[in-house]
Amino acid sequence: MENILSLKNITKLYPGVKALNNFSIDFRPGEVHALLGENGAGKSTLIKVISGAVAPDEGEIVFKGNSYKKMTPAISRKEGIEVIYQEFNLVDTLSAAENICLGEKHGRFVDFAYMEKKAADIFRQFHIDIDPGTPVERLSTAHKQIVEISKAISKNCDLLIMDEPSAPLTVNEVGAMFEIVRALKAKGITIIYISHRMDEIFNIADRVTVMRDGEFVETLDVDKTDRNQLIRLMVGRELSGNYPQPTKPSGEELFRIENVYGNGDEDVSFTLHRGEILGLAGLVGAGRTELARLLYGADKMEKGRLYLEGQEIHISNTSDAIREGIGLIPEDRKEQGCFLEQTIEWNIAFNTIKQFSRQGFVNDKKVEAAAQKYQDILRIKTPSIQQLVKNLSGGNQQKVVIAKTLAAQSKVIIFDEPTRGIDVGAKQEIYELMCSLAEEGIGIIMISSDMEELLGMSQRILVMAEGRIQGELERSEFNQETVLKYASVG
Amino acid sequence: MKVKETAKKFTILYVLIGLIVLFSILNPVFFSIQNLTNIFVQQSYVIIAAIGLAFIMISGGMDLSVGYQMSLVGVITALAIMWWELPVPAAVLIGLAAGIVLGLINGVAAVYLKVHPLIITLGTMTIFQGVSYIISNSNPIFGLPDSFKYLGQGYVLGIPVSVILMVLIAAAASIILNKTYFGRYVYALGSNEEAAHLAGVNVRFMKICVFMISSFFVAISAIILVARAGSATSATGVGTEFTCMTAAVLGGVSFKGGAGKVWGVITGVLILGVLSSGMQIIGLGTYPQYVAKGLVLLAAVGFDTYQKSGKVKK
Repeated sequence: MENILSLKNITKLYPGVKALNNFSIDFRPGEVHALLGENGAGKSTLIKVISGAVAPDEGEIVFKGNSYKKMTPAISRKEGIEVIYQEFNLVDTLSAAENICLGEKHGRFVDFAYMEKKAADIFRQFHIDIDPGTPVERLSTAHKQIVEISKAISKNCDLLIMDEPSAPLTVNEVGAMFEIVRALKAKGITIIYISHRMDEIFNIADRVTVMRDGEFVETLDVDKTDRNQLIRLMVGRELSGNYPQPTKPSGEELFRIENVYGNGDEDVSFTLHRGEILGLAGLVGAGRTELARLLYGADKMEKGRLYLEGQEIHISNTSDAIREGIGLIPEDRKEQGCFLEQTIEWNIAFNTIKQFSRQGFVNDKKVEAAAQKYQDILRIKTPSIQQLVKNLSGGNQQKVVIAKTLAAQSKVIIFDEPTRGIDVGAKQEIYELMCSLAEEGIGIIMISSDMEELLGMSQRILVMAEGRIQGELERSEFNQETVLKYASVG
Repeated sequence: MKVKETAKKFTILYVLIGLIVLFSILNPVFFSIQNLTNIFVQQSYVIIAAIGLAFIMISGGMDLSVGYQMSLVGVITALAIMWWELPVPAAVLIGLAAGIVLGLINGVAAVYLKVHPLIITLGTMTIFQGVSYIISNSNPIFGLPDSFKYLGQGYVLGIPVSVILMVLIAAAASIILNKTYFGRYVYALGSNEEAAHLAGVNVRFMKICVFMISSFFVAISAIILVARAGSATSATGVGTEFTCMTAAVLGGVSFKGGAGKVWGVITGVLILGVLSSGMQIIGLGTYPQYVAKGLVLLAAVGFDTYQKSGKVKK
């Protein structure tokens, strides 16, 4: 048996969309096979076809030599296919051991000793130090994921599908997860690995299959390809793959913060120049988002002074910040950035709706004009600005959030994880946009956990750890090791 | 697609028209100017209170204390006239002011105790109830002057005063919600409170304002009701909150907040009114009416959810 799993000519139609079109792919036993494609390329549908969550309209699935017209969740599980989804499927109040053994029957009564032993055995295999008795809600994100993985392995699976497993993890945690993936591979388990992060694919995968618009594009050996080729295949057009760089900033001071305390951050000082993209690096919990929220007035600053264009400004709430010209693109666009149930136009005009009003009454013409203008500038792809934001793709939603801030005529914009969860094409557009904003003289503070992007876009990087700035790097000094060294201080 | 969406938008209107047609066929007496006007007049105070509650619901909150706010405002207004012997306009102003204070209490409690308004108003509801009965001593307050009753029973140019007030309030509410930035803030609060906060909205201030506006409308509603009855008791208006809630949900106000229209709320109240009146006329009493109202509500929300989940499947 050469392939553990083969999909042959799979087609899956949804009303109006061909999610998968005559799609064929083979997986070899014991390989780590990455799936790569933009949002909407059909990766999720493919996983669902394999796990049996959806039935294909046409085609054949061959798993371990047996042919199926369609999978069902029961069959796929029985045959040894497990999926780890982006959102964890754990019962928070139960212990790690109980979660791992969930759904299993052993003896007549609940056998805690058996469960804890089983969990401990699995954790030991991976040299992980988790107490099996700990309730899952008390574990870190990385440990929760290990529990997920352990749960899958405890079912003796042969094929493990991991859907963006690195998304919630920090750099160090991703490293630890890779160790586990390698260990699983050594045991002969086949892994289908889905990720937007190119460097991970080169780090962990043996082969990579690129998909686009529900079609198979190509399967390549990872050591025989490179980043640019993959991007080209994925997007279907030439993308530079390089990070655009704005012209060198003048060095003129735009925004200076002095000895800021609050929200867990201590004694933060730095200067942002006109037209500069300043990167804020650090691990999750280093205090970067907390700092952004302080500067934006979303949380209370205990101490510290802010100077914009040489004048001291006082910000005690978000409307002060917006009025002074400070903008924030928050890290979670759905929860913090936009109003999903409202129209694009409504969203874009919202931060500045007071300025679009006279004596309290909204001037609809001004609102429409502004929305139209920023739809054009940001190339928000939609048939109409009356479209509800929830109907847009992630990338376009992010553009709406950015438009909202731009409409407020910000002088300083803080981008917190601006490209999280959006596809390569839209990412590139957002990079280019940031550059053109910088060239117009806007100062940009960029927070990102994607190291490559941060190194690529910033002109200067401040590294935070434990609520303090631990180091500052000029572009000529940029490298991942130095950043990580500062980031793991303390 | 467009046509379908517009059709869906007005489903609730078709239901109202359908009910009117149905009852008119069952008993032609139903379809008389007299009866239809009656329904409108009887429901005008409910519509005003329901619009008030809709403000809170659109902003993502809830107010269970509407009924006892009405009770308390009614008793206070009547007292001001009968015991303190204030002129009617002054008494009405005191009643309205009392209402706004009750809203302020709800709003401040909701903002500073950081508990869902449902729970807060469950508490204040009980408090208002107690205060209302303490003040009235469980006795009805009779003998309100004609100049006061005029608000609930009078006519201007042949149109009932209560209907005129209702139309004015509906128009004002509609303008606030649709045409002002304040209205957008109300929708924003209900759609995504955190995003509203980050967009520069003073969330606490807004929440308190919304409660006060709502209670102002509720107080107007209470005064009309007492004026129509000609006397006030602590039981006046009690239970209105559930009628209002039912009507608001029927009319498309989202329970999670962020969506809802004034005309929808009015339609919702009228559906309930038509059901009551129609069933009465064809000889079905109060209790079958409860069953019918409950079924209509379940059918409406069920239909709505069914349509939404149908969409998701696609």
